[in-house]
Amino acid sequence: MRRAVLTYLALSLAAVVILAPYLMSVQTSVKTPRQFAQQPPLAPPRPPTGENYAELTVGGHTLIPPLVITVQVVLVVVLGQLVCSVLAAYAFARLDFPGRDAIFWVYLATLMVPAVAVLVPRFVLLSEAGLVNTFWGIVLPSMFGSPYAIFLLRQFFRAVPQELLDAARIDGAGHPRVLRHVMLPLSRPVLATLLIITAVTHWNDFLWPLVVTSGARWEVLTVAVAGLQSQYQGNWTLVMAATTLATMPLLVLFTIFQKHIVKSITITGMK
Amino acid sequence: MTVAPARRAVPAARARPGRSRRDTLTGLAFLAPSLVGVGGFLLAPVVVVLGISLTRWDLIDPARWTGLDNYRSILGDPAFGRSLAVTAVFVLLVIPLQTALGLAAALLLDQRLPGSTWFRAILVLPWISAPLALGVVWRWLFDPSDGAINELLGHRIEWLTSPALALPSVAAVTIWTNVGYVALFFLAGLAGIPPQYGEAARIDGAGPWQGLRRVTLPLLRPTTFFVLATGVISSFQVFDTVYAMTGGGPAGRTEVVAYTIYREAFVNFRMGRAAAMSVVLFLLLITVTIAQQTYFRRRTTYEMG
Repeated sequence: MRRAVLTYLALSLAAVVILAPYLMSVQTSVKTPRQFAQQPPLAPPRPPTGENYAELTVGGHTLIPPLVITVQVVLVVVLGQLVCSVLAAYAFARLDFPGRDAIFWVYLATLMVPAVAVLVPRFVLLSEAGLVNTFWGIVLPSMFGSPYAIFLLRQFFRAVPQELLDAARIDGAGHPRVLRHVMLPLSRPVLATLLIITAVTHWNDFLWPLVVTSGARWEVLTVAVAGLQSQYQGNWTLVMAATTLATMPLLVLFTIFQKHIVKSITITGMK
Repeated sequence: MTVAPARRAVPAARARPGRSRRDTLTGLAFLAPSLVGVGGFLLAPVVVVLGISLTRWDLIDPARWTGLDNYRSILGDPAFGRSLAVTAVFVLLVIPLQTALGLAAALLLDQRLPGSTWFRAILVLPWISAPLALGVVWRWLFDPSDGAINELLGHRIEWLTSPALALPSVAAVTIWTNVGYVALFFLAGLAGIPPQYGEAARIDGAGPWQGLRRVTLPLLRPTTFFVLATGVISSFQVFDTVYAMTGGGPAGRTEVVAYTIYREAFVNFRMGRAAAMSVVLFLLLITVTIAQQTYFRRRTTYEMG
């Protein structure tokens, strides 16, 4: 009993520490700059105002174009990465061809390559291809599948019983059909997991879009928020509205799919 | 340890009669898109970064071959040395605390009291929010006159502009972001330990602390390894939080390696030096990874057989 009380106390303390920054930033985002300047930072907004959100949606500092670009980036990367990773994983797991295992080991070795270390050469390669400050410049490096996703899917595909595939092959199905009609329906959980993790990663991505784009044309949400922050230093009510807008969509999705997302993180161990 | 069986599998696969021309063609066709990705955006960059690191290049004039000059220059540069030191201190601040707190949170959640799932979900929230946005939020919270933290303390502290406090503040935010994520892995690890082990220890008279040290922690070693390895690699590359909170200041006190590479390449346009720094970071991370692996493999074999 005493132990349960202590556990709840500790967990509640942790929850407060985690939630407080979110709640305080939302509270600040519904104040006018005037209210904010005249009162202590934590004074409740009286009355709450939607002024900052109006400014960031229909006003002069609209975040709608960056939002649209971010959604497009996430869609293209998620779709590309899933399709390419599924195809590669099927080849590694279920097909027999010369060099297969050697190529697989090369893929595994690339897991060691740190993203920051390839920032400069990736930029140079895309710059030589004339793709800097384009939509494709943002998505190309991550839309052709990730070694980690391939590795994970391969494990999963290998566990599918051979008899199921043989049955489909005897009925005359080729590999593409086996993949579509046998493998994919069986792998829905792992596909959902990869979908969630890839979407979260690329929604939140900052360094690569920051480097490969410049100006407003292809600005994603994170880059737009960073720009707003440095342009309006001290205008915290507007900036907190912007961070709220940038984090809210994922927080809402998280609340809905909480259980599945938590499970996904543990399965993949990646971001 | 997994290398050996797979190598042996190659000749076996070659001898298998099932291999057909069609399988080979399908296999290569299925691999093609990911080969573009892995080859073009992971392998080629590793080669290219080595090449660039041997040149002097501002992205405008043609690159000029300078041999190992960049390496000599950055290794003799106190700013780069400081950046490496800042990164090391950052990793040393973040990793022990986030691992210990993550483990503590997991032990609390593992008691599975009603409502645990909600606490678990709350703890993970920062992990799914953009580090950049969170960094901006914390920049406000830490603001000396307009921020919430000083108001709560009733005391004016220059968190992000004081040379002594800036790096610990950034580290604290990183820990705050990661604790829930780390806890998830420890929770999964704890779920894999059969309850009989704990009971046996209790029957033998072990208290909760002893049970944790002598039974739970050794059995969690694979999880701990995973959490440490991934944690070290990602905190060595921290960027977004630093960019949003301090921009590397004050006077370089929070300028981690990723930030220095970014600044050198995309603010100062010294691609050769930035590439050389990238190579150093790469080598450093490989060394750390191998060291960790060797250490943990030895420990794991001894005690878990």
